[in-house]
Amino acid sequence: MITLLLIFALCWPLCIALASAWQAYRTSASQGRYLSWWWVSAAWPSLLLPYAGEAQWVIEAWMLGGQWSLDALSRPWLAFTTLLWSLAAVHARGYLAKEQVKAQVGDSSAERRLLRLTLLWPLTLLGNVLLIIAQDIASFYLGFALMTFAAYALVVHTGTDEAKLGAKAYLIMAVLGEGLILGGLLWAAGDAQSVLLEGVREGIASAEHGALMAALLWLGLGVKAGVIGLHVWLPLAHPAAPAPASAVLSGAMIKAGLLGWLYVLPLGETSLSPELTRLGDIMLIAGLAAAFGAALYGVWQRHPKAVLAYSSISQMGMLTAMVAMGLAAPEVWPLLLPGVVLFAAHHALAKGALFMGTSISEHLPRWPSALVWILLALPALSLTGAFGAGMISKWTVKSALYEMHHESLITLLTWAAIGTSGLVGVSLWRQWQQRHAGGSHSAQWGAWLAALTAALVTPLWLPLPEGSVAIPPLKEWVSLVWPLPAGVMAVWIGGWLTRHLRVGTPPAGDLWWFYAWFAQNVLVAIRGIGQWCSGIKAASVNVTLAIEKRIMGRLTQLTTMESWMRHHTSGLMMALAVILALLLMWEGA
Amino acid sequence: MNAAWLPLTAIAASLLAAVIIFTLPEDARRLRTSINLLAAVIKITLVALMVGRVVQGDEAIFSFQIVGNIDFVLRADALGVMFAGLSSVLWLCTTVYAIGYLEGTANRKRFFGFFSLCVASTLGIALAGNLFTFLIFYEMLTLSTYPLVVHSGTDKALKAGRVYLRYTLTAGVVLLFGVVLLYSFTGEHSFASERGLGDYLGDHRALLTFIFALLVGGFAVKAAMVPLHGWLPRAMVAPAPVSALLHAVAVVKAGAFGILRIIYDLYGIELSVELGVTTALAVAACITIIYGSLRAIAQQELKPRLAFSTISQVSYIVLGVSLFGPFGTIGALAHLLHQGLMKVTLFFCAGIYAEELGIHCIDEMNGAGKRMPLTSLAFTIGALGMIGLPPVAGFITKWYLGIGAIQAEMYWVVAVLVASSTLNAIYFLPIVHRLWFRVGPAHGHGTWPNEQRLGRLETHGWLLWPAVFTAFISLAAGLLAGLPFSPLDWATRVAVGEYLQ
Repeated sequence: MITLLLIFALCWPLCIALASAWQAYRTSASQGRYLSWWWVSAAWPSLLLPYAGEAQWVIEAWMLGGQWSLDALSRPWLAFTTLLWSLAAVHARGYLAKEQVKAQVGDSSAERRLLRLTLLWPLTLLGNVLLIIAQDIASFYLGFALMTFAAYALVVHTGTDEAKLGAKAYLIMAVLGEGLILGGLLWAAGDAQSVLLEGVREGIASAEHGALMAALLWLGLGVKAGVIGLHVWLPLAHPAAPAPASAVLSGAMIKAGLLGWLYVLPLGETSLSPELTRLGDIMLIAGLAAAFGAALYGVWQRHPKAVLAYSSISQMGMLTAMVAMGLAAPEVWPLLLPGVVLFAAHHALAKGALFMGTSISEHLPRWPSALVWILLALPALSLTGAFGAGMISKWTVKSALYEMHHESLITLLTWAAIGTSGLVGVSLWRQWQQRHAGGSHSAQWGAWLAALTAALVTPLWLPLPEGSVAIPPLKEWVSLVWPLPAGVMAVWIGGWLTRHLRVGTPPAGDLWWFYAWFAQNVLVAIRGIGQWCSGIKAASVNVTLAIEKRIMGRLTQLTTMESWMRHHTSGLMMALAVILALLLMWEGA
Repeated sequence: MNAAWLPLTAIAASLLAAVIIFTLPEDARRLRTSINLLAAVIKITLVALMVGRVVQGDEAIFSFQIVGNIDFVLRADALGVMFAGLSSVLWLCTTVYAIGYLEGTANRKRFFGFFSLCVASTLGIALAGNLFTFLIFYEMLTLSTYPLVVHSGTDKALKAGRVYLRYTLTAGVVLLFGVVLLYSFTGEHSFASERGLGDYLGDHRALLTFIFALLVGGFAVKAAMVPLHGWLPRAMVAPAPVSALLHAVAVVKAGAFGILRIIYDLYGIELSVELGVTTALAVAACITIIYGSLRAIAQQELKPRLAFSTISQVSYIVLGVSLFGPFGTIGALAHLLHQGLMKVTLFFCAGIYAEELGIHCIDEMNGAGKRMPLTSLAFTIGALGMIGLPPVAGFITKWYLGIGAIQAEMYWVVAVLVASSTLNAIYFLPIVHRLWFRVGPAHGHGTWPNEQRLGRLETHGWLLWPAVFTAFISLAAGLLAGLPFSPLDWATRVAVGEYLQ
C-alpha cells in the first residue's frame, strides 16, 4: 500500500509537469490555466507519505542500485518539506493570479514565465522529495541535482536584472557545489566500496583522509545550506525570486544541504579521528561566524527579503554549529539530533511564513491593520525563540547541550538569538515602510495563515520519535525570551545612533562582489596568457614556414643542378668514362 | 557449433548494401532507402544473435588463412559484440536521420554507398579477431570516410578532407610499422591469446614499450587525443549525420576501441601496468580531457564546440582503461556506449537546428526551445549527460571512473573528473539556458537565420525521431542502469568475464 503511495507521490509531480508542457503545446494562451488546483496538488501525495509509517525499498534496476527509506530522520524531514511545498504552491496561485490574467489576455512574456515556473516547480519538488527518501548515493545526487537545476526557473522567474543576477549567482555557486559534492562522494564511496550513503558515512569515519572527504562534502552541500563564504547567492537570489519561491528556497531547499550533512557525515560516531574532530571545530567556528556575521550585515539591508535571506544564513549558521557538535563532541549528538530536526522544521515553516508575509505586506488584506501586523510578527517572534514552537525547538537543543555541559555554546547561541531578533525586527520595520494596501488573493493569505499556524505548532504535527521534544520549564522562560527585547533594543539604538551618519546600504550579496571582481581579474589574466600563447604559436608557425621555404629553395637549386646535368650529360659521361679508365689503369699498374 | 557465418554475414550485409547502392541510379530514392533500412535491420538482428551466443558462452568465429601464418579472423567476443551492437543500433538511427537530412540534395548515391562501406568497416573493426584483420578494416574506414567528410565539395570541405587524410594516413603508416615490428618479433597478432605478450617482458622490455607507443600513437590519432586531434574540429564541415557517425560510432570510437584491444587483448592489462605505460596514458588522457573542455569553451559555433567536447569525452574511455581495475574498466567500456548515445543525440540536434532554423552559432539559439521543444529536450538530455548529471547515462560512467581512480589511488584523476564536469557545465549550460530561458525569434524577437518548414512537426520526422530515440535511450541507460542488458550491465559482463578473472 505504502509502495503504491510512494510511486504515486513520485509520479504525480512528473505528470503535472508533463501536463503543463502539454497544455502549453496544445491550448491557446487565453484558455491556459497554469496555476490550476491540479498543479497546486503536486506535493500532496508526498505529504501523506511520512504519515503512512516507516518503510524501506530496494530497487536493483535503478541506476547504481536504489535504496529508499522512510525512517526516523526522513519522515519528519519529508513532512515539513512537503507541507511547505504544498502551502507555497497555494500561495503561488494567489501571488501569480495577476500574471495569469495577463497571460490570458495575450501577454506572451507573462505566459512564458508562467509556463517555465509551472513546468519546473513540480520537478524541483520531485528532486527535493527524492533526496529525502534516498539512501543510496545515486538517488541522492539525482534528487539534489534535479532540485538544484530546476530551481533556477524559480529564482529567475521575474526576469528583471536583479533576478538574472540572483539566478546567475545561484547557478554558479550550485555548479561549484555539485563539483565538490561529486568529488567528496566519489572519494568516500570509492574508499568504502559502497553505493549507499551509509557507506559514505562509514568510509569517512574509517578512511585515512576521512577529514578531507568530509570537508569536501561539508562545503559542497554547504553551498545550498549557506555556509559562510559560500552563502553569497542567498541574499542575491531571495529578494529577486517571487515570494512563494523564496519560501521554498529558504525553507525547504537550503534544508536539503543540512539533510545531506546528516546523511553523509559520521556524526555522533565514537572514536573519530582527530582530523575529523578538528573539522568539527572548524565547522563550529564557521557556523557561529555565519550566525553573527549575517546578523551584523543583514540589519543594514533595505529590502525585507534580503534581510530575511541574511536571517536564513544566520539560522543555518546556528544549525551548522549544532551539526558540528556531532563531530567535535560526538557524545552529545544522539541527544541533539531531535532538536536539530525540530529546529530545522520550525525554521522552514516560520521562514516560509515570513517570506509569504512579505507578499502580504505588499498587498495588505482589508483587515484591521493591527491584526495583520500582529499576525505578520508571530512567526518572527517564534523564530527568535520567545514564543510558540520556536521556544520549544530552542529549548530542545539547549537541554541536550546542558546535559552534556556545553554551556559556552549555549551562551553563544543565545547571543546569536539577539541577532535573529534584530534581523526579524528590521525585516518587519522594512515591511512596514514599504507596505502597500490593495488586498490580497484568498489563496495568498490562506496559505500564509496556514504556514504561520503550522510554524507555531510544529511539534504537534511533526512525526518525530516519541519523547524527543522537551517543553521548557517555566523558570527558564526568561533565559529564552530576553534576546528578543535585547535584539530589538540593539537595532533601535543602532538605528538611532546612525541616523545622522549618512551611511549607505551595503550591497546585498557581500562577498559576491569580491568574488566577481576576483574572477574578472583572473579572466583578464587568462586572456592575456591566451594571447601570449597564440603569439607564440604564430611565431612558431612563421619560423617553420621560413625553414620550409629555405629547404624548398635548396631543393629548387637541386632541380637546377639536375637540369644542368641533363644538359651536360654527354660531357659528364665522358668524364666518368675517363675516370673509370684511369681507375682501371691505376688498378692494373 | 561455431557459427562462422554470423560475423561474416553481418559485415557482408553492409558491404552488399554499399555495392547495390553504387549500382543503383541516382534517382532511385525509394529503393535506396529500403535497401539502407533493410540492411540496418538485418545487421541489428545478426548482432542480436551474436549477443545471444556470447551470453551462452559460445563465440562465433570465422577464419581463413591468407598467407603463411597470417590469418583473417572475425571473432564475436563480448567486447566486439558490444561495439558492434552500438554501431548497428546507431547506424539505423543515423541512416534514418541521413535520409531525412539529405532529402533533395545531390550525390546521395555516393553518400549512402560510402556510408554503408564506413559502417561495414566499423563492424569489421568491432569483430576483428587479430591485429592484421583490425588493420585492414581500420584503413578501410579511413578511406571510406573521406568521401563523406568532403561530401559538400566546397573548398573548405576539401581542405578539411586533406587534413583528415594527412593525419589518418600518417597514423596508418605508424600503426603498420608497429604491427610489422610486433609480428616480426613475436609472431603474435591474435586478440584471443590467453598469455598476452608477458613472455617477452624479460628480454624485450624497451622494444615492447616502443611498439606499444607506436600502436597507441597510431590509434590516438583517430581517438583524437591531444596533440593529435587537429583533424577532428576541421572535419566538422561534413554533413551532420556524418559528424554524428564520426564522433559517436565510427572513427573516433574506432581509435578508442583500438586502444582497448591493444591493452586488454594484445598486451594484457598486467603487462601494460608492468611496463608502466598505463600511467603515461592516464596523464595523456587527462591532458586531453582538460584541454578539450577548455577549447570547447572558446568555441562560438555549435558544431566545433561539440567537436572539442568529443575530444574531451572520448579520452574518458582511455582514462578508464589506464586506471587498471574493475571499476575503471567497466567505466571505460560503458562510456564507449554512453558517449556514443549522448554525442549522437547532440549532433542530431545540432543538425536539426542548422537545417530547420539555419542556426550555426551558439548565440543564435535563443528561444529555440519554444520553437522546437522535442529537439531541444533531446539536446538538453544529451548536454546534461555530458556534464555527468544523473539520471543521464554520463553520470554512471563518471561515477565508475571516479571510483576506479580512487581504488587505483590516483586521486588527481578525481580532481580532473570534477574539473571536467565543471568545465562541461560551463560550456553546455549556457546553451541550455539560451534554449529555454532566453527570448528569441520564437517569442517575436528578431528572426531565425534561415528558417524552413520541413514538416508538420517541429521539423522533418525522419530527423526528429532518431534524435528523440537516442536521447531516450541515453536517459534510460542511466536511469535503469541496473537492468540486464543495459550498457553498464554489458560492460560489467565484458569486464568481469574477460579481463578480471
